Amino acid sequence: MNGLVFALLGASIATGLAGTGSARGVGGAAQAAMGVLSEDSSKFGKMLVLTLLPGTQGLYGFIVSFLILVNCGVLGGELPTLSQGLAYFGASLAIGIGGMISGFAQGKAAVSGIAMTAKDDKNFSKAMVSVTLVEIYALLSFIISLLAVIRIPGLNL
Amino acid sequence: MAKLKMKKVQIAALRSDRKRLIEHLQDSALIQIESETEVLEGFSRPDTVSQAQIFEKNAVLTEQALTILNRLAPEKTGLLSSFAGRRTIDPDEIGAIAAKAGERIETCRKIIGLNNRCAENAAELVRIRTSLAQLEPWDKLDIPFSLQETEKTAVFIGSLPGSYTEETLAAALAGEAPDLAFAFELLSSGKEQTCITLCAMKAQAELAEKALSALSFARPFDAVSLLPAEEKKRLEEASAKLDFDTQQCKKEILSYAKERRALQEIQDYFRIRADKYSVIGQLDHSAHTFLITGYVPEEDCEKVMALCNRAAPCVMEFSDADEETAPVKLKNNKFAAPAQSIVNMYAAPAPSDIDPSPILAFFYYFFFGMMFSDAGYGLLMVFATAFLIKKYKPEASMRLNLKLFQYCGISTFLWGLVFGSFFGDAPAALYNHFAGANVTMAELLPWPILDPQKDALTLMIVSIAFGLVHILVGMGCKFYICWKNKDYKGALYDTGLWMSLLIGFALLAAGMATTKIVMNIGIGLAAASAVGLVLTQGRSKKGVGRVVGGVASLYDVTGYISDLLSYTRLLALGLTTGVMAQVFNMLATMFGTSIPSFIPMLLIFIFGHLINIGLNALGSYVHTMRLQYVELFSKFYEGGGRPFQPFTLNSKYIRIQEETKK
Repeated sequence: MNGLVFALLGASIATGLAGTGSARGVGGAAQAAMGVLSEDSSKFGKMLVLTLLPGTQGLYGFIVSFLILVNCGVLGGELPTLSQGLAYFGASLAIGIGGMISGFAQGKAAVSGIAMTAKDDKNFSKAMVSVTLVEIYALLSFIISLLAVIRIPGLNL
Repeated sequence: MAKLKMKKVQIAALRSDRKRLIEHLQDSALIQIESETEVLEGFSRPDTVSQAQIFEKNAVLTEQALTILNRLAPEKTGLLSSFAGRRTIDPDEIGAIAAKAGERIETCRKIIGLNNRCAENAAELVRIRTSLAQLEPWDKLDIPFSLQETEKTAVFIGSLPGSYTEETLAAALAGEAPDLAFAFELLSSGKEQTCITLCAMKAQAELAEKALSALSFARPFDAVSLLPAEEKKRLEEASAKLDFDTQQCKKEILSYAKERRALQEIQDYFRIRADKYSVIGQLDHSAHTFLITGYVPEEDCEKVMALCNRAAPCVMEFSDADEETAPVKLKNNKFAAPAQSIVNMYAAPAPSDIDPSPILAFFYYFFFGMMFSDAGYGLLMVFATAFLIKKYKPEASMRLNLKLFQYCGISTFLWGLVFGSFFGDAPAALYNHFAGANVTMAELLPWPILDPQKDALTLMIVSIAFGLVHILVGMGCKFYICWKNKDYKGALYDTGLWMSLLIGFALLAAGMATTKIVMNIGIGLAAASAVGLVLTQGRSKKGVGRVVGGVASLYDVTGYISDLLSYTRLLALGLTTGVMAQVFNMLATMFGTSIPSFIPMLLIFIFGHLINIGLNALGSYVHTMRLQYVELFSKFYEGGGRPFQPFTLNSKYIRIQEETKK
């Protein structure tokens, strides 16, 4: 038996959970941004930036999934062994869980940033930087998942 | 290449020249007028609020007229025309614009008046529509509402609540007044009301009235002497007339559309004059003279002098400005100037700060390129910005923004070459698709590339190494600032030791990969620095606190570690761009090699890469900025200075041509 099932399970977790985090984060931020835009549509550019900030988690998850697919025979590479499949699954958990929860948190921060920017445009850069502070944790999760996924085919499992 | 030296300027001139002098200063935008809070003895400040208000009011008036005009006749503008900026005019043109102020205000009044008429017409139309709806149940009535009686009979026209048929109504009436002889006609019957005309002999009028009121009979409110059909016709005619009138009004408003530009210009004129008067209100006046105080960058002093002397006889005095309170203006060479806007977005430099623009510019371009990292996208950025600059000749600030992206584009292009990425792996993907080969970008390109997917670990180390350089440069700035302010202890202990500690760790890490000697040097350096830190960091405290403070300060090393880890985003975003592009290339080449498959291929290719550009350019922009603000600026930059805001034309549509070079 090969480990494709587990590898795909991992791929789904990476994109699915991280995507959930981003979806909720962006969704909440978009709601707040639209409230602001209904008053002053000239802030669209700034609102767009703040709204999209919690969107990166989904991308990170997607990249991990994509690399798993490339490595494990779906889009190239060879079918993984059972332990390799389990390893992919384990590697995906980092970005899946880290991405989801940091997405929620970043979404909340983005909503506050939007409120702050709505009051005064000058706050924009401060709001933006504060919102990206959350991102580092998604980033760390991503790097861990990524390094693991890239190395797994070379491991003798 | 730095913060400009500010001079404080005082200009005294005759009151009779006030208008001319101030307008010249306003056009030139060279000086920030700022009066002392206290009025000088023997001087007073004129009350110009009312004049300023008149201009403000006129500006609002034109604003309203323009809003109406834009709603009815939207201005046709290209998607990119916002890059063009304000229209440039000659200083003399302002006079020509001002001369027509009265005429323009008249136009605005007319536009607003016409718009009000449209609004009134609309309200009237609603009223007519209501009346028409009320008339509907009376359609069948062929006598006027106001008819009360004929020769022999009394006539009742009105409505009863509830729904009746002829039978139920006759029965109800008979139940109320069995003796009553009547004839009635049911005009209409709905759920809520039934409209009737009822005739009874005059002798029985009272009886009939009683019977009807027992059934809650009500006459219509406005009993007009016209027949309902005629009334309806009258209302419809009135409504048609109103419609026509509205059309005419709108047409007339549209006929003013060609004056839009004139109105915009006059609006700016009003704004400019309102500003002028509010500035005059801040100036100290004596009986015959007035005094302007303000700040001028040193390099502009001569220009101001020449300008004032040309405008009017006046006395000028330049003195060194107090650095603590003077506003800050940055000036940089072509390479660093675009980064000034990023510095100012954070905060203008405080008096003690150096101008971080050149350092920021270099790292901004560098990191942006590393994150966006695609030769194709980079070329697109360079050409798009070049096109916009050439075609629309944007104003200075917009031009700088475009330049910023142009430089970032060049860096993106170069990093794309390093990572072997041109629209992702498009060349390889297309070649494989059509030739059926199986090559990678690394095999196609003649130079060695660093593939972020295969060499992620290497790239991560490279990213952190760049981060280390970035942080060290930031600390170097702090060192320089402390040294310049003769705070040698602060420079050496607080910054120098940390720098050598970080360098020690870096050598240690490098030594682990290479030779033992480097590693040992690293260990030595780091250990020595750590000891130095323990000894010096508690120096403001006494006794045991000295040692504790020193040891505790070593804990700050966690801050530096998290700063360094933050640079892994260089890898993450670079990888994201590449992988997304690769995914879109893969999707685009899924449809086989037949001729019709070119269409979906092209569509996916174009839209996919557009999405990728949008998402990742935004990400690169934001994250590069974060690296500058959080990681770099926290090391040395204080901010909180006052940006230089010259007294200028605060206009939306026009600007004065910059002085032609003589």
